[in-house]
Amino acid sequence: MSQTDAAEPVANRTDGQGVSTTAGETVEETRPEWTSYEAGGETKFAVDDLDVHYGDDHALKGVSMDIPERSVTALIGPSGCGKSTFLRCLNRMNDRIRAASVDGTVELDGEDVYQDGVDLVELRKRVGMVFQSPNPFPKSIRENVSYGPRKHGDIETGLLARLTGRAEPDREEALVERSLERAALWEEVSDRLDDNALGLSGGQQQRLCIARCLAVDPEVILMDEPASALDPIATSKIEDLIEDLAQDYTVVVVTHSMQQAARVSDQTAVFLTGGELVEYDDTEKIFENPESQRVEDYISGKFG
Amino acid sequence: MSRATRTALVRDDRTLYEAVAGTAVGLSGVAFVVGLTALLGLVGIDDPVAGVGLSVALGALLLALGASVVGFGMASRFGFVDAAPQPSAGIVAAVAFTAIWGAVGAAASGAAGVGTGGRLALGAVLGGTAFAATAFPREDVGSTAPAGALAVLCGLSLLTGLIAPGWERALDGYNATLFGDTVVPAVVLFASLVTGWSAAKAYGGFGARGRNVGAYVLIYLVVGSILAVLVGLVAFVAAKGLPGLFNGFSLGGSGLVSWPFLTSGAGLTAEVAGVFPALLGTIWLVAGAVLFAVPTGVGAAVFLSEYAEQGRFTGAVEVATNGLWSTPSIVFGLFGAAFLIPRFGNQKSLIAGMLTLGFMLLPLVLITSREAILAVPDEYRDASAALGVSKWQTVRSVVLPAAIPGVTTGVILGVGRIAGETAPILLTMGGGVLPAKSAAPDVLGSFRLSASPPFVSNPSLLEATSALPYQLYALITAGLSGNIQNPQEYAWGLALTLLLVVLAFYAVGIATRYYFRRKLHQ
Repeated sequence: MSQTDAAEPVANRTDGQGVSTTAGETVEETRPEWTSYEAGGETKFAVDDLDVHYGDDHALKGVSMDIPERSVTALIGPSGCGKSTFLRCLNRMNDRIRAASVDGTVELDGEDVYQDGVDLVELRKRVGMVFQSPNPFPKSIRENVSYGPRKHGDIETGLLARLTGRAEPDREEALVERSLERAALWEEVSDRLDDNALGLSGGQQQRLCIARCLAVDPEVILMDEPASALDPIATSKIEDLIEDLAQDYTVVVVTHSMQQAARVSDQTAVFLTGGELVEYDDTEKIFENPESQRVEDYISGKFG
Repeated sequence: MSRATRTALVRDDRTLYEAVAGTAVGLSGVAFVVGLTALLGLVGIDDPVAGVGLSVALGALLLALGASVVGFGMASRFGFVDAAPQPSAGIVAAVAFTAIWGAVGAAASGAAGVGTGGRLALGAVLGGTAFAATAFPREDVGSTAPAGALAVLCGLSLLTGLIAPGWERALDGYNATLFGDTVVPAVVLFASLVTGWSAAKAYGGFGARGRNVGAYVLIYLVVGSILAVLVGLVAFVAAKGLPGLFNGFSLGGSGLVSWPFLTSGAGLTAEVAGVFPALLGTIWLVAGAVLFAVPTGVGAAVFLSEYAEQGRFTGAVEVATNGLWSTPSIVFGLFGAAFLIPRFGNQKSLIAGMLTLGFMLLPLVLITSREAILAVPDEYRDASAALGVSKWQTVRSVVLPAAIPGVTTGVILGVGRIAGETAPILLTMGGGVLPAKSAAPDVLGSFRLSASPPFVSNPSLLEATSALPYQLYALITAGLSGNIQNPQEYAWGLALTLLLVVLAFYAVGIATRYYFRRKLHQ
């Protein structure tokens, strides 16, 4: 979709939604000014009029939002509202689902990631992702962390590298240590880096996944409900880590837990049923004085 | 709900009854094991036990077991013990006893010389009675009385010598005769299975718990008999084959170990005839087939499950591979003979055999590898893709390592099948019946480089070569004669060697799988 007709559809869209109702119930109008929030700082991601269809299912309807860098942006909303779909558009993980079709633009530092000729390897190196359930590889802790750099050829290990004298064990060690330190896991695993990662607890596995993502040196970290499979103590460790990471990285986190969003995020986007972005603002504003009645109902637990 | 109608959680007033029932279960197990060993010929059925023949002793045991089983049912029925029987023994037990007693009736009247109509009538009468006795009374009687009566009948017929070791009976209409030394163990096995089940139900106090215990005993006895057959088979071959295998074996001397059966051929000059050429032939054959089938099969599996779009094409390939796996080996052999032999020097050769067996192995490697690759969780692929790692790198460094244990399982199964194949080798590889040591393939040593295409040649691969199963077959059809001293002993030694080679391949495969599993899950 070209940039020139971006303004028109926004107006049309809101008009259309005021009239049309989903499943027979009257849906409150989503006013564009509720979502045209301007956060401070540089814009990392500029998403404009993003539509996603899974086959006949319209999962995301004309979402536009700017995500500022070096901050935590929380995406909240009920199940099936499209927040994970939105997240997966930012690093094009939706490409892995055959039936998904994406319209609109997603600009990372001013470059559209959906234009032709985008190098997915480069994109995903810059935009890392952490998944809902911890998914370390069935390899040693060390191999898990250095997996990305090794596969990208940034670190050479293996027999041939050793034979030709190109192996850099010290650099690998340093990278593993740095990444694990950054993910607040180093002290717990420094003495067993060669153990299988599947032997770690769930919370440790999730922090290992974050370390694995950090080892590639991304600019953005996407997190899809990173703590939903964890116990409260592990969750609070992950939350501390998210706040800490936001000093150096742009963090976008999808969560079911409104408390979590309120605790860790700088700005919050609320998606509601039907795949629309209803309100996007400072986290404080969203949780204390939302503009939309639907958002207020959702936050106070009356809906959703 | 009043307290009085509640069943106590802990029942403590059945200890004597339980002890007796438990003993009955144990004795049924003993009778089952003795029957099994007798059936396998490990003990004679008329060997003396406590002054009488084994057959008579077993008869007495069955009689006692039958009587006690009926006793358990009665004790429960008339309230001497605290059991929890259900209203009926159930339709499965009723149908089973109907069939058993119907067969007993037909067989007994047949033995008594009654005609076909009479047999059917008696079978129907006994079957109907058994059905009524099982289905209509309460569970404690229904599942003990028909079982106990059957054991009593079997016990009496053994005790009185109605069926005895010397007994034999020609079956009319069939060219076959039943002998006592087969029928007696079979009767004991069968009756002990029934009393074991029934006594176990009594031990559990009938009801849900009794059925549970009964099913356990039944399953354990059946599993035990399967294991016994396996062990018996290996033990039989080992007992027959060990003298041949260790013919001329000695430690020390010139070499450290001298094992002529495995290291010499069967030529005229060999002091002790051995199986070396065929042994080496089998090892090369399996190695060649695995070298051909594993890379191609795993590669095809990777393509089908990671790259190809799941749909009609992959479905058709799946149907075709399943069909190939069930294709009879002689058909593969014919293909090898008609297609490969003309292309490899127009004679039976080692390489034709390797490729034919490779073709046979390919579908199984493909099927199991595909299953193993599909079983690798998608989370690994997502995690790898999210790190910006390309698809092929992901397949190579995450998916394939996680699939290796499954792939190895497929290769193990396949090697077990092809190592013992005779028909394809007969048609494609040939070799002598009693090859001399010089006929052994020297694959590694006969690679030759040449200046003209194909630049590398290996005459050893193009020669007819013997393999263990083929040599065994050839020996049997040749009538076990020839220049070797003891053909019987030689052939059994050969069979044992083949068994050990297959087991060794298994062991290597299982060790590989274990190693990779450990690596994946520490």
